[in-house]
Amino acid sequence: MIPVTSEERHWFLSNLARGLVEYTGVAEPPVPVEDILKHPPALYESDFGVVDMYSNLWDATFARPPTQRGSVFVRIDLPPDERRFALAREMLSALITSKHGRAMGLSDFLMTDLRESAEHFARKLLMPMALVTAYRKRKGKLEDVPDAFQVPPAVALTGWDESSDTLN
Amino acid sequence: MTMQALNQLVARSIIDPAIVQSFGTGQIGDVLADLDFSADLRERLAGLKASSWAEYAVLAYRVVKATEKVTVRVELPSPAEGLLPEQRKSGEERVA
Repeated sequence: MIPVTSEERHWFLSNLARGLVEYTGVAEPPVPVEDILKHPPALYESDFGVVDMYSNLWDATFARPPTQRGSVFVRIDLPPDERRFALAREMLSALITSKHGRAMGLSDFLMTDLRESAEHFARKLLMPMALVTAYRKRKGKLEDVPDAFQVPPAVALTGWDESSDTLN
Repeated sequence: MTMQALNQLVARSIIDPAIVQSFGTGQIGDVLADLDFSADLRERLAGLKASSWAEYAVLAYRVVKATEKVTVRVELPSPAEGLLPEQRKSGEERVA
């Protein structure tokens, strides 16, 4: 694998997220991340799923039990915005380990910076550039982003800053 | 437009296996033919060698980005132009 800069990796991840958002056909936030996992494109039928669980160890984690469908195992008591971000973040692991993801070469490409990649992917999935740009053109305010996009405040701030970089 | 076309291609690739299959069989040029790339750029992109689709996407990004930079540079007027006094400028033109 060739050396890749973080800017290149982010560009790639943003487009993967964009592809999934466009698949949903959503034109307004919030992006229905849980629906994507529960009703995935046919390509990911054996890779996407959601299982609620009781845990104090982590918010969510992707796992693929042998011979079973892969699923994101998510803590049942998470606040809705944190749940959405955790599901979006773990979706990248589902993609990477899927048959199609392996055919794309995602594991070599993303495994070394998996956590950072997953968080970037999640932000772009929940706050896609097209929807953030439209929101800002409608004079939407930063303080209302967590409600509008249903993301944790820290995610909203980072996503907002990233969109400022692109708009400027 | 060119970067937008590449963005669209990479975005589609996550849900459309035909794109990755075309890359795998050396026929990515057929997919590129339907997108908004110039003939020269399409040829360069079709000729890129990569060990995976993800690697190919990054190499294509570098090519398209470099092409867009060159285009912008060509379109911008020289900043020196507005600084030259009119007389001197016309004199230089005569010498040239």
